[in-house]
Amino acid sequence: MNGAINFTYGFSHGVEWGWPIAVYLLLAGISGGALIVALLVCFYKKQHEDTPLLKAASLVSFVTIALGMVFLVGDLEKPLYFWKILIHYNFTSVMSIGVMAISVYIPLTVMMCLYLFEKEISTILAKKIQILGYFEMVMVLLKKIRPLIEVLSVIFAVVICAYTGFLISVLVRFPILNTAILPALFVVSGLSAGTASASMVATWFFKEDAHSSDMKTLHVIEWPIMAVEIMLIAMLFVSLLVGNEFQQTTTVAFQSGVYANLFWFGVMGVGFGLPLVLNFALGKHVANSHTAFYLSGMASVTGVLCLRMFIIYAGQTFGV
Amino acid sequence: MENDGKRRAFLKVLGLGSVTLGTAGYSVAMAAEKVEKKPHYGMIFDQNKCVGCTDCEVACRKVNEVPEGQVRLYLENKTDPATPMEKRYVRVSCQQCEDAPCVAVCPSKACHRDGKTGIVTMNPDDCIACKYCIVACPYDVRFINHKTKAAENCNFCLNTNLAKGKEPACVESCKYKALVFGDLNDENAYINQILHVKDSVRMKPTYGTKPSLRYIPVVKVGV
Repeated sequence: MNGAINFTYGFSHGVEWGWPIAVYLLLAGISGGALIVALLVCFYKKQHEDTPLLKAASLVSFVTIALGMVFLVGDLEKPLYFWKILIHYNFTSVMSIGVMAISVYIPLTVMMCLYLFEKEISTILAKKIQILGYFEMVMVLLKKIRPLIEVLSVIFAVVICAYTGFLISVLVRFPILNTAILPALFVVSGLSAGTASASMVATWFFKEDAHSSDMKTLHVIEWPIMAVEIMLIAMLFVSLLVGNEFQQTTTVAFQSGVYANLFWFGVMGVGFGLPLVLNFALGKHVANSHTAFYLSGMASVTGVLCLRMFIIYAGQTFGV
Repeated sequence: MENDGKRRAFLKVLGLGSVTLGTAGYSVAMAAEKVEKKPHYGMIFDQNKCVGCTDCEVACRKVNEVPEGQVRLYLENKTDPATPMEKRYVRVSCQQCEDAPCVAVCPSKACHRDGKTGIVTMNPDDCIACKYCIVACPYDVRFINHKTKAAENCNFCLNTNLAKGKEPACVESCKYKALVFGDLNDENAYINQILHVKDSVRMKPTYGTKPSLRYIPVVKVGV
């Protein structure tokens, strides 16, 4: 009886959440991923000095999440009313929960930057003695809670990465989005983009040696992260392939059309293929070169951007 | 005399007590009754009666001041090309879900359930137009109003016709009585009388959103 009557017309006419949201999802992923990786390396190696990697990660995580906010607010039809979400909380809304998490996370990234760039900020403030005095006073207080802030930063970085997945996985109309794997995939791909960004910034701006012990650690963990990422994408595809009628019809997104190209050339080719080729197929000489290092880092980030684009666009195109 | 005073005081307490307890009890009973009687508005679209004249669409746009080129309510022609003489139209509009995803996901509580009537509606001033409700709606029947820049849906003319004590504009304008509007919680309402005798369905019931819009489809079993 329920098949007897139906409507297929919709009022949204296409993709409501476009590329700014995909870019925001990428930036949030980079921000969280960079901070998680750098702090975990720190914890694991029991480092107490401020390493170039941690410096780079703190800067990257703050800049990307701040830039992400610009994209997020810019995508609103009424951007000047964004403060309404800050005063009306709806605890059943993933977006509200995300906003709460972000309003904790951004101050955490700011504090991480303060710890790591204390010297630099002091030299800038040197001429204004009074402000410098206040700054030093604040830093004395902040330094006492640094271990706590670091742990909280890791926790909230994971929350930020995962929330971006939950944000779109609750959209029941779209089979590609409405999967349990999406938050996990976003955490893992955030880790890979974050690792790439942090290591690039560390070597470029903070003169970290590309073959230092921290960089070696990152290179070791990069590949398992990538493997898990590929596995999760495969799981997503298989779950659609073996799912119900609607889920099966969406697998065409992987098989033909512009989104399939985006997926195979962008995500698979640039994101996974290029770094693999540069690091393993062309011999040690190429793999150790600076060009290969930056190129594969940028390829990783581009791949994750393509993945977010694919998920957002193909996800919303193939609805029920 | 002393006893008399005591007795009088006792009676006073008894009297006052019974009055207060009684009224308190009564008001509790009243409150319970009120909760029970809170309306749950629903609508029936009868495909057997709809001829696709779109008078409902026109009336809705006029009454609710929907901008040019946009609609809260749309009649989709679902006539089977194989049997072009058997016209079939379907009403496309907000399904007024009991478990509405749009209300659940709205970060600013602009999309809400009206306190008095329980109708899913919008507060355009609080809407930041994040479009979360639009993508969350399983029926894809929400849109951003070009004029107000706020998300919008069919709210049974809550702020317009219903506020004036009239039926929703589409129901009012339907010449063929294909639309019936009423309180599903009121056993004596016409809408319930129809639901008792007719088979009706909900759209996409698998999403578990419990729509308040019911559809009576044309079902030909072959003569």
